[in-house]
Order: sequence, then C-alpha cells, then structure tokens
Amino acid sequence: MTEHASNRVELLYGTLDLLILRTLLYGPSHGHAIAKHIQRVSENALRIETGSLYPALHKLEGRDWIAAEWKKSDKGKRARYYRLTLTGREHLTVQQSRWEALSVAMARVLRPAE
Amino acid sequence: MWRQLHLRLRSLFRWHRQESELDEEIRFHLANEIEELTAAGMSPREARAAARRDFGNVTLIRELTREAWGWAPAERFLHDVRSAIRGVRKAKGWTLVVLASLALGIGANTALFSAVDGLLFRTIPVPDPDGLVRLRWTGDNGAVRGMRTYGFTRGDGVQGSFSYPVFEALRDANETLAGLFAVAETPLTLVVDGRAEVATGFAATGDYFGVLGVRPAAGRAIGPDDDRPGAEPVAMISHRFRQRRFGPEEEAVGEVIRVNDVPTTVVGVLPPGYTGIRRPDALAADVHLPLATLPRPERGPRLSDGTAWWLPIMGRLKPGATAAQVQGNLDGVLRAAAQSALASLLDGLSEEERALPRNRNLSAEPRLLVDSGRQGLFDANPRSSGQALVLGVVVALVLLIVCANVATLLLSRAVSRHREVAIRMSVGASRGRLIRQLVTESLLLSATGGALALPVAWAARGLLPFGQTSPFDWRVFAFAAVLSLAAGMMFSLVPALRATRAEPSDALKEQTRSVTLSRSRLSRALIVVQVAVSLALLVGAGLFLKTLSNLRGVDVGFNPEQVLLFQMDSTRSGYDPEESVALYTRVRDGVRGLPGVRSVTVAQTALLGGGVSIGTVHVEGATDPGRATHVLTVAPGFFDTMEIPLLAGRAFEAHDDANAPRVAVINAAAATELFGTDDAVGRRFGFSQEERGEIEVVGVARDTRYDDLRGAAPPTVFRSAVQSPLRAATFAVRTDGPPSALTPAVRETVRQIDPRLPIMNVTTQTAAIEERLSTERLFALAYTAFGGLATLLAAIGLFGLASYTVTRRTNEIGIRMALGASSIGIAWMVLRQSLVLVAAGAAAGVGTVLLAGPLVASLIHGLAPTDPVTIVQAAAVLGVITAAAAWFPARRATRVDPMTVLQNE
Repeated sequence: MTEHASNRVELLYGTLDLLILRTLLYGPSHGHAIAKHIQRVSENALRIETGSLYPALHKLEGRDWIAAEWKKSDKGKRARYYRLTLTGREHLTVQQSRWEALSVAMARVLRPAE
Repeated sequence: MWRQLHLRLRSLFRWHRQESELDEEIRFHLANEIEELTAAGMSPREARAAARRDFGNVTLIRELTREAWGWAPAERFLHDVRSAIRGVRKAKGWTLVVLASLALGIGANTALFSAVDGLLFRTIPVPDPDGLVRLRWTGDNGAVRGMRTYGFTRGDGVQGSFSYPVFEALRDANETLAGLFAVAETPLTLVVDGRAEVATGFAATGDYFGVLGVRPAAGRAIGPDDDRPGAEPVAMISHRFRQRRFGPEEEAVGEVIRVNDVPTTVVGVLPPGYTGIRRPDALAADVHLPLATLPRPERGPRLSDGTAWWLPIMGRLKPGATAAQVQGNLDGVLRAAAQSALASLLDGLSEEERALPRNRNLSAEPRLLVDSGRQGLFDANPRSSGQALVLGVVVALVLLIVCANVATLLLSRAVSRHREVAIRMSVGASRGRLIRQLVTESLLLSATGGALALPVAWAARGLLPFGQTSPFDWRVFAFAAVLSLAAGMMFSLVPALRATRAEPSDALKEQTRSVTLSRSRLSRALIVVQVAVSLALLVGAGLFLKTLSNLRGVDVGFNPEQVLLFQMDSTRSGYDPEESVALYTRVRDGVRGLPGVRSVTVAQTALLGGGVSIGTVHVEGATDPGRATHVLTVAPGFFDTMEIPLLAGRAFEAHDDANAPRVAVINAAAATELFGTDDAVGRRFGFSQEERGEIEVVGVARDTRYDDLRGAAPPTVFRSAVQSPLRAATFAVRTDGPPSALTPAVRETVRQIDPRLPIMNVTTQTAAIEERLSTERLFALAYTAFGGLATLLAAIGLFGLASYTVTRRTNEIGIRMALGASSIGIAWMVLRQSLVLVAAGAAAGVGTVLLAGPLVASLIHGLAPTDPVTIVQAAAVLGVITAAAAWFPARRATRVDPMTVLQNE
C-alpha cells in the first residue's frame, strides 16, 4: 500500500504541471478530458489517481498559466473549462525546451553506443 | 470602514463559491467517468466503484486543492479553525481531558490573578488617582498620647495618622496641594426602620468628595458646610448598603436614620463603582459622615486634642506639583504643630505629673513623608502577599503540568497524523502552512479551555482569603486570554515542529524508527516532570493536612465545646459607660434564665476570637521599662464558664467591686515570665510605672491560648470587668445542647431588653477557633485539590505512553510469548518502563521538596517541612496511582495472541 501510493505521488510531483499545459495546447478542455488525454497519450504508462489533477489545475490557475470558465459541455452539462493563457504558453515553451534538453541528455547517457 | 467590510464579506463569499464550484467540478468528473465506463460495458455499480477508486480520496483532494488556492490570511485562518474543529470532534475523550485540565489550570491562575491584581496593582476607583498623595510621618513625636491606625503601613516607624490640629495647620499652610482631607474609620450602630445593626462608618473632612472628584449617584455629596460643629447631621450611604436596606436610590435620599442614636438625614447615595480610598481591594464603608458631626463615642474630645493622632490624611497635587514639593511645603508645618501640641500638653500638667518618667525628656521631631496615594491610604498586607506567593507557586506548577500533559497528548496525535502531514508536504504544502494548522488546532483547544476557565476562576476566587472584592473585569479576561494563548503556544509548537521535521519521502516509506524514538524520549521527559511536580504538591498537601490536624489538636487550655459567643457595643447605642455595666448585667441575667443555658460570662473579647489586647505590665520592685503582656478584661464567672482551672489562689469574687482594692488573675506563663515563680499570688504590678503596686495578683490560672494556636500560650493578665468597665463586650454562653440552637432565644432576650441594641458576630467557640485556621485550611485544600489533579494528569500521561508502547511492540510481544515468555514476564517488561519514569520523577520531586521545604516552614506546625513520613506517604500514593495507570496497558500486553501476531507478520 505504502509503496504504491508513494510511486504515484512522486510521479505527480513536477511533471504533472507540464503534462497539463501540454494538453491544453490543443484547446480548452475540462478536467476529466485532460485526465483521459494524459492517460491516452502516455499509453497508460503514467497512471495517476485522476483526482490529483485538480489540486494541480487550481495551482496553475492561481499562477495565471491557465484560466477557467464554466461552459456547457458537448453533452449539455455545465463543466469547468481550462484554457492556456499567454504566460502559460511562454512557461510551457521554456519548460518544454528544458525538458527536451534533459530527455536528449538522458537518452545519450542511457544509450552511449549510438 | 464600509469598504473594508465589503471586501471582507466578498472574500468570504468567494470562498464559499469556490468550495461549491470545486464540488461541482468533481461531481462532473465522476459522472463523466461513470458514463464512459458503463458505455464500455460495466454495470452501473461497478462503474461507480471503479470511478471512485480511480479518482482517489475525495476529501484529501479537496483539501489539497484548497491549499492551491492560496487564500488570504483571514480565509486560511477560518479554514484552519474549521478543520481543527473537525479534528478535535473526532477525538472526543481526548478533547474532554485536554479541555478539563486546561480549564482548571488556567482557571486557578486567573482566580489568583484577579485577587493579586486587586492586592498589588490596581488603583483606587476615583478620577485621576495618580494625582493623589498620602501623608505619613516618621521619627520622634512626644505629642502622641493616643494613636489609631486602620490599615497596614509598610516601613519601620512609619505612622499614618495625624491629630486634627495638625490637619488644620497643614491645610492652612498648604500651597502645593489643590486640596487635602483627613479621614477616620469606625464601626457604627445604625437603626433603620426600627431595626438595629452594626455598619461600617467612614468620616471625612468637608473637602473629601470635592478633592477626590467622586459624584453621588443620587442626592448630593457631603460638602464643607456639613463639616462644622453644630451642623445638621447628614450622611451618604454606599451603593451596597442602599441595596441592602433601602429601596430605589431616590427613596433613600431624605430618609432619617439613627447613627449611634443620633438622627441623621441621608443626603446622597454613592455610585456603585466607588469602593473607598482604603485599598483598591477594599469595600466602601456603609455610611459616610462629616468628621465634625461624627457622633459619640467615636469623636469624643478628639477634634481639639493635639495628642490624639487618629486621622490619615490625603490630598490632590496642584497641576505640575510633585510629592517632593509638598514635603518641602509642609514638613516644617508638621514639626511646628507637633511641638506646639507637646508644649501645651506639658503646660497642662501639674508639677508632680511633669516629674513623672513618661513626661520627662520629651521632644517632637516628626518628619513628613509624602508619597503616591494612587493605591489608597494603606499598603498591601504582607500576610496576604505571602499567601498569594504560596498559592501562586501551586497554580503555576499546575498549569505547567497541564501544558506538559497536553503536549504529550498532542505528540501522540501528531504521530498518528504523521502520514497525513507527509503526503501534504509532498504535494507542496509549505512547512509553515502545516505548522500553522497544527498550532491553530492547539490554540483552538487553549482558547476553549480559557473560556471554560472563567467560570472556574469565578468559583475558585470565593475560596481565597484576600482580594475577593476586586472586580472581575476586562483585566481578568485579558489575563485569561493571554495565559491561554501562551499555554497554547507552549504545548503546540514542539509537537508541530517535530511532526513536520521529517523528510516527506522518508516518512512516506514508513513511520521511521528515529521519529518514534525521539517522540517517546520527549514524552518520557515530560512525564518525569509531571511526576516530580505531582509529588511536590502531594507532599505539600500532606504537610498542610497534618498541620491542620495538629493545630486542631492543640490544647487551648479551656473547654471550647458547647459555647455560644456574641458581641455587643452599647456605647454605640447611646449608653454611657456606667449604664453599659448595668445593661450587660441585665443581658447576662436574661440569657442565664434561658432553658439549656448552664452559665454566662462576659469578656472584652473571646479567647481565640481574633481580637487581642496588649498592655505594658510594670512589676512592683522591678526597674525595667515594662513588659508587653496580653490583657483580657473578664466578668465574674469567666473561669467557671470557660472551664479554666485555677492553679493557685482564687478567681474574681463579688467583693472585688469598683471600690475594693484592684485585683487580677494571671496565667501560669505570666507568673513565670513576670515574677519568675509559680506562686505569684500576693505579688503586685501596675499598667504604668507610677502604678507599679496598684494591682494585686489573687489567682493563677492554667495557661490558655489567646490569639494564636501556634507557639506557647502567651503570658496573660485577666482584669475584672467590674473594676475596669467594658465598652464593647463578648458574651460566652455555656450550653447543655448544641450552642447554635440557642441563637434565636438569645436575640429575642436582647431585643426585649432594648430593641436598639444590635448583637453581632454570633458564633460558637469552636467555629471561632476554626476561623483562625482559614489560611491553613485554604492551603490544605489548594494543595490537595491540585496535587490530586496533577497526579491524575500524570497518570493519564503515563497510561497514554504505556499504551502506545504496547501497541508499537505488539509484534515483539507476540514473538516473545511464542518463544515461551511468561505473562508475568511480559507484564513486568511493560510495567518496568513506566516505573522507571515514576521513580525518576519521584526522585526529582523529593529533591524539590528538600530544597523548597524551608520556604514554607513558617506555615507548617508540629512537623518539619521535610518530614520523611509525609514524603514517603505522598510517594506511596503517587506510586499506587501511577502503577495502576501503567497496569492496564501491561495487562493488555499479556493478552496479545501470539498466533494472530505471527499470522500478521
């Protein structure tokens, strides 16, 4: 039980922000859709307790990287839609390039022969 | 301000909206998920369960989201309070213990503060008390032939009373004071609506109310015009007295009452907040009169008598003037007035009188002392300050124990919340934020405890022997609030820092060993402290209980059982001293005729009744300056009624009347002390050097206690009331049955003799003696109650620690049992841990007692403050209670089922 929970939480920390911003690049979306999208694109490798998404969303909103408004969903129910703000887009660009640099570096370290 | 309020309300509103929106968002998420899962072929029930499982802990998510909102401080605080209330509600028993102990601990401290505040810190309740000065004097003063004091004055040889001529001289020469006045206090006999009673009286010169700035609640204040000889007698009454004896304020004004038999008009009622100028903790006298019309016998010829020093003086500084300037202004005036009084005293004496030793070599060099009158005329009684100190130590220790206990309890909660804290830290909650939340919970507890402490303080204050009259107002509330806050901070910070110190990743893996170990080390230290303090308090309880029983067992030298006492002062009802003697005889005869009365006697004051009279005895043939000796004037029949055996000679007899040679009975201690022999019958003495041979000793009585149960019986001289008439008298009635049953019949008898005569202080001799022990009783009560409370708290703490240990070591215990350890062995293993702590605490406690014991030595009677028996008994009580507390967890340990444990492993 302990191990399980700790793996998830540690995965959440830091990377989740980036994943959310990346998802919202495609357009405004509500929490459930964001969660589904992250699971889909990571091919279920990043399984998270979907609820953990919400503290992160609200934190990003507080930093003005994303903004929220209530809109009717495609099924006609009221849902809270998040969209990327200008500052959020800038932050994402910076973070993404940093992340990619890291990925490249990691890849080199892990596969030095190539 | 409106804008502020508006913003505040809007932010509160925003908070609620955010909460409900978050709920809606989560609901939407779950509904969507369930829909998708059912579409994929799950049953609705499965889908709901799966969606929930996938989402995680909703409550936790909600809480974490709230933290992300980054509220304004006010909102965050409100939220903290709400979650604290939730947390506290979950642990009801725990909360109850914490609140009860906090209420008692803070309540006891608050009660003592309110009393000490009145005793030491308050100012008298008049406008601008800082502008007041009191006048006193010190030094040689031969002009004093009679001195009256009304309250305690600190300082060697410092006197607080002046003569009326001195007051007049000071008033006329004054240039530095805006005004000054002289006062006197005296009991008065009042008749209101035909009912007689004794009231407290206060007389002052005409400027009194003007200088103080006190305005009446109804009617008018007494002014300079009322304070002239021959003026119409007027009075002002206190608010309390008006409530007790009159209707509404308007009706009291204009009433005519008899003050010492003089018809007097009530012209005004004092305001409720006015409590006089004695001390901040005193009460206003019932009746205020102008000094010039103070009725007899109190005033007598004193107004013009320069040798009667009986008036305390106070004044108000002119703007900008200082006490030193007043001293410079009036010091010489005082000296001149005293010297002229001395000169006229000597002028009035005959040639022989002037040759007497007491009139030779007289000088008058009094020095004026001027200091602040903001705290009234008198200084705080050192006896009360001493009592306050002893009690203060107790209540402070109790609060310390309570804090230690609550800290222990919070530590155990902090450990159980360790994982919660770790998760929150891992998702980014700052350490400060978490500490703030834990501290909020503690402060909520201490604030509630503080609120509950106020009624406790109100009730506990009634037990204190001093400071009862100081108001229970905002100062007291502020003290309770500050104390609660301090206590809350004290017991919350350590657990909070400790709980948040661990690294999140560390704690998430498991509650690490190092955390539990350091927790229990701190808990152990706290328990050792608690046990030590408990033992010290229990020893105190034992010492005071034994002191009380030792003092109750003191042989007083007479039989105190079945004696009814009451007092009467006929001179305050218009009787002359000669008439009084006849009156007292009539009362005595009347009471003696009542059924159930064996005998009746009269004395100046009751033995061990609180009063004492001391005279200077000059033995015939000796040349010493005389010895201060206890004196008691008694009527015939005194020794029979009190059952005091005569060791030699005889008691007073009928033929020892006013015209016969003066005689006295002395006690055995006086025989030894004054005459150096057991058989002093026939020896002579006098109450002045000139009268050395005047009084003959006719009998020696067994020693009796007079004013104190401690120490040896004082040398005492008994005078005959027939030869030295009494003014006020205490009647002692020896009865067949319970003495109190006779009270109504006695009252009726006196009423029939003269309805204007009030009888006062009706009590029994045993109750009067018990009254002498009020301080000891208070200390015994305080130490027993608080010692018990402290022990109980220590036991709870120990129980908690031992239970926790057993829970933590369940596996180990199971394995040990599986390997063949006996139940007794296991129980001992658990018990031993507790007993080591108790032993360490007890050792520290004994050390404290040995060090602090001598401080209370003067309060203990009949045993040493470090009495080993008492210490052992207290330790035994403590040992039994704490061992019982540790026994329950130990028993639980023996019931661990090895099979269950091994299966769990």
